[in-house]
Amino acid sequence: MDSTTSWGLVTTLIGGVCTLAIFSFLLKENPFYRFFEHLFIGIAAGLGPLLVLRDFLWPKILEPMLGLTITTYPDGTLSEPYQPLYLLYLVPMAFGSLYYFIYSRRHAWLAKIVIGFTLGTSGALAIRGFFGEVVPQITGSFKPLVVFSNGELALFESFNNILFVATLLLVLNYFFFSFGKDNSAQDGSPGTLQSRMAPLGRPLLMICFGAFFGSTVMARLALLVERVQFIITDWVAALSNVVGIG
Amino acid sequence: MILAVGIPVFLGYSRPPSRLVSAERMYEVMAKTEFKPGEVAMVWLDFGPGTLAENQPQAEVILEHLFRRRVPVVLLSQYQQAEVALQRVPREVAKRLERELPDQRWSYGEAWINAGFRPGGAIFIQALVNASDISKFLGRDVTGMPITQYPNFAAIGGVERVKLVGEVTGLTGVFDTIIQFFQKGGYQPTVVHGCTSITIPEAYIFLDSGQLKGLLEGIAGAAWYSEVLKQHYPKSDNTKLLVVNTALSAAHLVIILLIVIGNLVPLYQLLRQRLWGSHG
Repeated sequence: MDSTTSWGLVTTLIGGVCTLAIFSFLLKENPFYRFFEHLFIGIAAGLGPLLVLRDFLWPKILEPMLGLTITTYPDGTLSEPYQPLYLLYLVPMAFGSLYYFIYSRRHAWLAKIVIGFTLGTSGALAIRGFFGEVVPQITGSFKPLVVFSNGELALFESFNNILFVATLLLVLNYFFFSFGKDNSAQDGSPGTLQSRMAPLGRPLLMICFGAFFGSTVMARLALLVERVQFIITDWVAALSNVVGIG
Repeated sequence: MILAVGIPVFLGYSRPPSRLVSAERMYEVMAKTEFKPGEVAMVWLDFGPGTLAENQPQAEVILEHLFRRRVPVVLLSQYQQAEVALQRVPREVAKRLERELPDQRWSYGEAWINAGFRPGGAIFIQALVNASDISKFLGRDVTGMPITQYPNFAAIGGVERVKLVGEVTGLTGVFDTIIQFFQKGGYQPTVVHGCTSITIPEAYIFLDSGQLKGLLEGIAGAAWYSEVLKQHYPKSDNTKLLVVNTALSAAHLVIILLIVIGNLVPLYQLLRQRLWGSHG
């Protein structure tokens, strides 16, 4: 954080106080922590609508629609002619505003039109997204079990592919719950191949969850490192600057 | 834990980072992607203060590499809280490069533009990839200037002219949107990704399927990428990043130690109870 300017100095000092306030929870729950927690929630909630208005609604919709992007030069000519087609923005805006009828018992059906439209759009996008994301993954899972590189057997790559395919099949098999009824517990029969293979998927899933957990711990520690670095280098330097030590 | 993290940071002590193949592969892709005049890289900085610790170093190394190659970069975001990152990261990278190479300049409008936060997610990206001219479609940058006014970005043209897409985020939904929608018939961009540690296992699926051409895994990924950059540009300064990476490793050692102690103590108690418990 840039603490060389007075504005940077102020934000660094405030940032440090906020960080220490949140860290104070490590000692125990206290009013200092609670105040800053509420402050963060309030800022995050307020920031969203404000940024949408400032970065999108105003410059992209309202300004061009109201003709505020047009500059009038001293000779009376305009930088660009007004585009009346911008007024078409009013149609989706009016349509979207029907959502507010959800608060009226009598006219709530109007809101349902918007909800239906949103659901339809979301559904279509989800299908489009599925093909864009998952199909390449399915084709990507078709791996050769024996890999040759420059005419020689690539042992490590072959092992990797075998491990990948085996893991994929065993985990998929673990989640087959709907067919291949297994009566082995009742009649003592050996059970189907599918049911006998199913438990093998579980340890592989556990390894995966372990990786997830480990990476989560790593991410949290990274946040701690960044904050400690901020306090030790930036905040202490800014504080020294203010009290005239540095 | 605070001590384990704080001591390397306080002393500025660093160790060389571990080699990460995914980051190295990403360097190769970034170095080999050819950009003809007028073609650009599009980097999405979809992170806010919550994941800044990991995503900012990643964004810095990606931008540093692109800036060194003089590739014009369009910066934008689908995430509201990314505003600070969009402003600060390219400016700091440019400043650092100018300190290193005083006779060269990396200025706003020439090296990069900031198209800001763009809401709409999938719908926006669909419209973007189908636009006949991205410069006109994006309209104005965050300063209110029409993007067509910047010579390097005046007429980008269709999405085919975006040769490289970078996505730096810890939000899997936002990343998925890029993978799902930043493509159209016959056009598949080269996508590289900087992810937080939490999302590494998920990101690997995309790396394995070839949807991602390179991956930076948390701070460690950024640290190794910076080291590879240093091998190619010896004056590149990655001291701060290596200190952070070392502090993180120290924290990991403490965690491993705690896990070992946490398991050995009950094991010892169990053994003592079994072997000598009956004898008091």
